Amino acid sequence: MATPDRFRLDGQVVLLTGAGRGLGRAMALAYADAGARIAGAARTLAQLEETAELVAERGGEAISISTDVADSDAVEAMVDRAMSHFGRIDVLVNNAGGGADGDGSPLEQLTDEQWRWGIDMNLTSQMLCARAVLPQMTERGSGVIINVASGFGLRGGRDNWMYVSAKAGVVNFTRSLAVTYGPMGVRTNCIAPGIFPHTPQALERWRGGRYIPVGRAGLAWEMGPLAVFLSSDAAAGISGETIAQDGGGLAAIGPTGWAPRIRLTEPS
Amino acid sequence: MSEFVPTPNPQQPPDPFLLKGRVALVVGAGDPLGRAAAVALAEAGADVAVASLRAGPQEVMRVNSVANEIWSLGRGNTALTLDATNGNSVDAAIARAASELGGLDILVNAADLPVAAPLDELTPEDWHAILDANLLGPALTARAAARLMKPNGFGRVINLVSVLAARGVANTSAYAAAHAGVLAMTRSLSQEWARSGITVNALQVGVYEGQHGFGDDPETVSRVARMLPAKELVKPGDVGSAVVALAADSGFITGETIAVDGAATARV
Repeated sequence: MATPDRFRLDGQVVLLTGAGRGLGRAMALAYADAGARIAGAARTLAQLEETAELVAERGGEAISISTDVADSDAVEAMVDRAMSHFGRIDVLVNNAGGGADGDGSPLEQLTDEQWRWGIDMNLTSQMLCARAVLPQMTERGSGVIINVASGFGLRGGRDNWMYVSAKAGVVNFTRSLAVTYGPMGVRTNCIAPGIFPHTPQALERWRGGRYIPVGRAGLAWEMGPLAVFLSSDAAAGISGETIAQDGGGLAAIGPTGWAPRIRLTEPS
Repeated sequence: MSEFVPTPNPQQPPDPFLLKGRVALVVGAGDPLGRAAAVALAEAGADVAVASLRAGPQEVMRVNSVANEIWSLGRGNTALTLDATNGNSVDAAIARAASELGGLDILVNAADLPVAAPLDELTPEDWHAILDANLLGPALTARAAARLMKPNGFGRVINLVSVLAARGVANTSAYAAAHAGVLAMTRSLSQEWARSGITVNALQVGVYEGQHGFGDDPETVSRVARMLPAKELVKPGDVGSAVVALAADSGFITGETIAVDGAATARV
């Protein structure tokens, strides 16, 4: 039995930022399994090349592009490189980003530079990449953009400033991209991951705890199928949408296990 | 607070969108979305029981024809009739589906009773009928299904609702309230069953092709379609694909509502 064709990406080209490690690497492997070719981009070339090797081991094809997603010239050069190698970009995954220097500090101590860097890294970077890939998508009349936000794009956090603001910006940037470029055949969606630890030890620390409703943290590979689905024709009806993958965290309020009982008729 | 057992990690499947060996029940399979969900699940490899809400000859005929489609795909199937507002009827039908197909892993609530009239014209009896069909029904099917799913530590409950659950349209007060109620129930049940391996999610569907009363009038269709970035109504098959994506998910997406609406709710 084979996967229904609608969920496959055979022959398509995916430009994936932050592809050198973590969730980006996991998505690269899932895209390769779905039949796509990958242009992986990040700052550190050595990590990208490791990802490309893992893709090749699965029978896929990936090239590695060193870039700085917060710099518009570097982003243009990244897209030129991917276009000259593959001739097209069907899917852009805006995955690069992360906690910024200054997040975790009291607001009074935050510097202007820390604020600008955090917003540039997590929001402006996604605009630069989208702006650079869109012309060839609209010219062809097809394309998919996937922006990676965070649960913190939909809720606040104590002493969390640039990250929450930028990620909330990503959620709404997604909507305007969908509304604007939908008529030109480009769908845009957003994934809001919850807690996906980088190490097995960190993964174990979350198991059975009360913070994540399902009782475990996310595994990097679990991001892959969602990204592939949203990139495929199977998601043709979905655009402008943000999908949380967070073990039920955003659906909840209060600690997991809070299960009050109140009888239908209380004595007065 | 109750005590929880730690949740184990899921195994990464070789193919993330195949449902081979899974058993699904689609309630309301005589409607276009239910039919599309049932066929998409079968195409992805699941055995599928299909249920109609009423025992009227036309509805029974429609559901039987969906069962025939599933049979022609080479999957196990059975057609049932149940009264979704009657707990005993629901329990008996779900027990029969599980015994004929060997268990129950996936429940899709696709039953839909659209009613549109000014509040002034809605009687309390109308409200009861609308809330019973659209809200009590999914509660009773989820209750019966979860009793079978909990011992296996695995279940996927997928509730289909209208975009009216999230946006106001005149003359849909009772219908919209019932569907918004399904979304609130989805979040609550996602927490109630978070440590039982059962995810509960919703698809919030925009006006779709052939939708009774909303998507089957040519003038309404063209006026609604013009407002959408995609310039066309949602296709039932796109909802079917999204059902497969949630049914095949590894379990970290729960309590979530995904709009399948061609970016209708992304815009102002």
